[in-house]
Amino acid sequence: MVTAMLLGPAAAWLVVFLVLPFIAIIVFSFGERAPEGGYQPAFTLAQFANLGARAAAFANTLTLAPIGALACLLVAYPVAYYLAVKADPRHRMLLVSLVVVPFWTSMLVRTYAWMYLLGGRGIPHLLDLVGFSDVRLLNTPGAVLLGIVYGYLPLMILPIYVSLEKLDRRLLEASADLGAHPFSTFFGITVPLSLPGVMTGIALVTILLLGEYLIPQLLGGGKVFFIGNALVDLFLQSRNWPFGSAIAVTLVAVVVMVLLIAMRIAWRVAGTRQVDLM
Amino acid sequence: MANRHKENLPITAQGFMDEFMRLKRGSVTRRHFLTATGLGLATAVMSRVPGAISTPAYAEDLGSQMSIATWPNYHDPATFENFKAATGVAVEVNVFGSNEEMLAKLQAGATGWSLFVPTNYTIATYHKLGLIDELDLAKLPNFSAASENPRFTKEGQIDGKTYALPKNWGTTGFAVNTSKIKAPLTSWKDFFEIAQGEADGRAMVHDYQLTTIGSALVSLGLDFNSIKPEDLAKAEELLIKVKPHLFAINSDYQPAMRATDAWMTMCWTNDGAQLNRDIPEIHYILGKDGGEIWTDYYAIPKDAPNKAAGYALLNYLMDPKVAVKEHTANGAPTTDSRVLELLPKEIVSNKIVYPDEAALTPLEFGAAVTLTDPGRAELMARFKSA
Amino acid sequence: MRALVFAVYLFLYTPIALVVLFSFNSGRNASELVGFSTQWYGRALSNPFLMEALQTSLIIAFTSAGLAAVFGTMAAIGLERVGPRVRAIFDGLFAAAIVVPGVVIGIATLVALAELFSFVNPMLASVWPGTNVPKLSLGYGSIIAAHGLFSMALVTMIVKARIASLGRDIVEASGDLYASPLTTFREIVLPQIRPSIVAGFLLAFTFSFDDFIIAFFVAGSKTTLPIYVFASIRRGVTPEINAVATMVLVASLVLIVIARILMREKKIAS
Repeated sequence: MVTAMLLGPAAAWLVVFLVLPFIAIIVFSFGERAPEGGYQPAFTLAQFANLGARAAAFANTLTLAPIGALACLLVAYPVAYYLAVKADPRHRMLLVSLVVVPFWTSMLVRTYAWMYLLGGRGIPHLLDLVGFSDVRLLNTPGAVLLGIVYGYLPLMILPIYVSLEKLDRRLLEASADLGAHPFSTFFGITVPLSLPGVMTGIALVTILLLGEYLIPQLLGGGKVFFIGNALVDLFLQSRNWPFGSAIAVTLVAVVVMVLLIAMRIAWRVAGTRQVDLM
Repeated sequence: MANRHKENLPITAQGFMDEFMRLKRGSVTRRHFLTATGLGLATAVMSRVPGAISTPAYAEDLGSQMSIATWPNYHDPATFENFKAATGVAVEVNVFGSNEEMLAKLQAGATGWSLFVPTNYTIATYHKLGLIDELDLAKLPNFSAASENPRFTKEGQIDGKTYALPKNWGTTGFAVNTSKIKAPLTSWKDFFEIAQGEADGRAMVHDYQLTTIGSALVSLGLDFNSIKPEDLAKAEELLIKVKPHLFAINSDYQPAMRATDAWMTMCWTNDGAQLNRDIPEIHYILGKDGGEIWTDYYAIPKDAPNKAAGYALLNYLMDPKVAVKEHTANGAPTTDSRVLELLPKEIVSNKIVYPDEAALTPLEFGAAVTLTDPGRAELMARFKSA
Repeated sequence: MRALVFAVYLFLYTPIALVVLFSFNSGRNASELVGFSTQWYGRALSNPFLMEALQTSLIIAFTSAGLAAVFGTMAAIGLERVGPRVRAIFDGLFAAAIVVPGVVIGIATLVALAELFSFVNPMLASVWPGTNVPKLSLGYGSIIAAHGLFSMALVTMIVKARIASLGRDIVEASGDLYASPLTTFREIVLPQIRPSIVAGFLLAFTFSFDDFIIAFFVAGSKTTLPIYVFASIRRGVTPEINAVATMVLVASLVLIVIARILMREKKIAS
């Protein structure tokens, strides 16, 4: 009885706002677009058969999401390593907090700032002054990638920092005492022990990126298209709810698949099942 | 009788301010103010329509705010500030990139708009879907059907009933920054060629099926409004070929043109006039092979949360004196001869705003069918996601 | 190494510095620096739409995070008391609520509610006595529900992990000493899990306050702060937006410093 009362609200919430909506888009994905747009009931596989029409968006997402995650990793690892191993312990908490603070400025406002920095009055203007004229940065895949690294960097730094912080420093000292080259200590001890954090970060960032909309929209000029953009477009421009629903269902399937693959790789690489996405 | 006649005259700016100051001093009531300035007429009539006003406490109460859905760079910000000073109603401006987007919002329900600005070819669909109401012209005394140019205003009426009032007309051409692009452009064919050549990475097209697909069709010698699959396939081929060379697909191109991130863009009259006014080397060109001519209207959504304010603002905007200021700020040509008479000569003789009739001849009005045609919608979406 | 880390912090803070800098711009445009002025702070505070958007966002963030903290904690405790099968179902649903992309949550909620309303509203109209028929529509309720879904899953995950690390012996000991379950919860469990509930609430609040894509679909006629900002990016950002962003940033920094000080004092006191 008490258990039912404890779980009741959560269960009701999950059913009404997760399970039912998901059933709704599955039902819609078998429907047809009404003549003026929207949805009309039908039973057809046409929407799924048409998925190829968004192959480019899927391909774009499935390449830029892992690339974005790896780019994040390249930038995040040295920072996490510095914070966990090299930083003065007195300043450590402050430095870690400083990684989180950007989250408290609206993502949209910060991305808008990048639109300015990458636009004609920002960095290209400075480049022009030193002789590189007509450089174009905004609305390129590179700009989107930069936005991704910027937006998701803290999510990559934190898990790696946590796993490195747990690392027993005496191991590193022992390795050095035994005459190991710093490089072999780093690759032999530090990197393997930080792998759970690395895998968590990569999986987290990749999965969030699969549903990204804002960064490609604002920094890609409507040219770099993710599935998220294709979805918004289908609901807010072409008003093709059934096709949009089919793509949404497919996107969820892709996310689940990526998640399973990531877990599998994580288990193999880290040699442990203690990789936790949270 | 004479007195009534006087009351119906549009109040002068001086008279308006006098009344407004009297209201502020508290020497007249709000009701007197609204009646004297003509602003109250709309609401006075409203009070006689049962159910037309959501808050029955004070029939003339316009509330404190409303929102309008319109297009980028389309109004004089001072217009809304003046309206707020006159009525106490603050106006929130939402801008859109395409008529499809406005329609999608209205179809999904609960937009919160009390006034919006659809383009000519969409009104029949809004009417068919029951998304707009017939306008009560008694609440819009500033509107004068007699002084409107029927060429630009007929699509606001369906079966003899008025569903939308004209805001202004205009054309869809392209703007070129001539300090960056030296090649002379005269047609949409030129536009798409230069976009892949001299303007590589610097040209913009609208995020809008009608003009982007329409102009591509025109450049291929096909019909602007075509929905024939074989025509659309050719347009798609061209657009997808051009896409890697574009700077962006976006209907708000002024910021990019001003920052010279973009050198050339598909462009509406009003933006062309504004860009040319501020940056003279940006020229506005109409395709000699075709393109769009259009009228934008004001309409009130059926589920508008503040219809009283929607009518009041619409009536305010229909005042020729207000319309002249709007015209001067946004540069879109008027459909109303009363406004035309009040305009300064340099605007009437501006060939961007009022082109020669010969330049308009190849242009076409958008066709209603393009709004709902699944082929065009899907083509646009494929073009963007390619 | 230090230089590299410094460069990364520079990368993280340059856009934020720019946002703050432009909030003091005297020009109308957020892309051309003209001179120094604080006028935009005043304009922002007196802009009814901006303030209403801010208020809407705060109400939604507080409500969704609050409900999520309560229901999520209840669920985390409840899950301790059920069999592995029920547990697995809940774990799966909570995991789904977290990994399903926001854009899908937004769309699915919109589609489901639109269907539901088109079915319920005519029914309401036919049975309602009188003319003032209530009409269900998108708004506060739908945004709070959709945000709360993710937030509740988040809180449950965090609190559950904390409970798992507690061990059951302390709870059992309390029971052996004849404390009622409620007393045990209040005196033993709650103090232990409180930090994780607070952490969950704060994360949920931050998520809801910054979310654009879910609200974009289910907000109906309501405007949240991110929706307002997105709309103003399209119509041309004025430094008002920068002023609000700066104020929000400063407010959250102040709150964090206060929280830190309170926690330190508590530590010293105990």
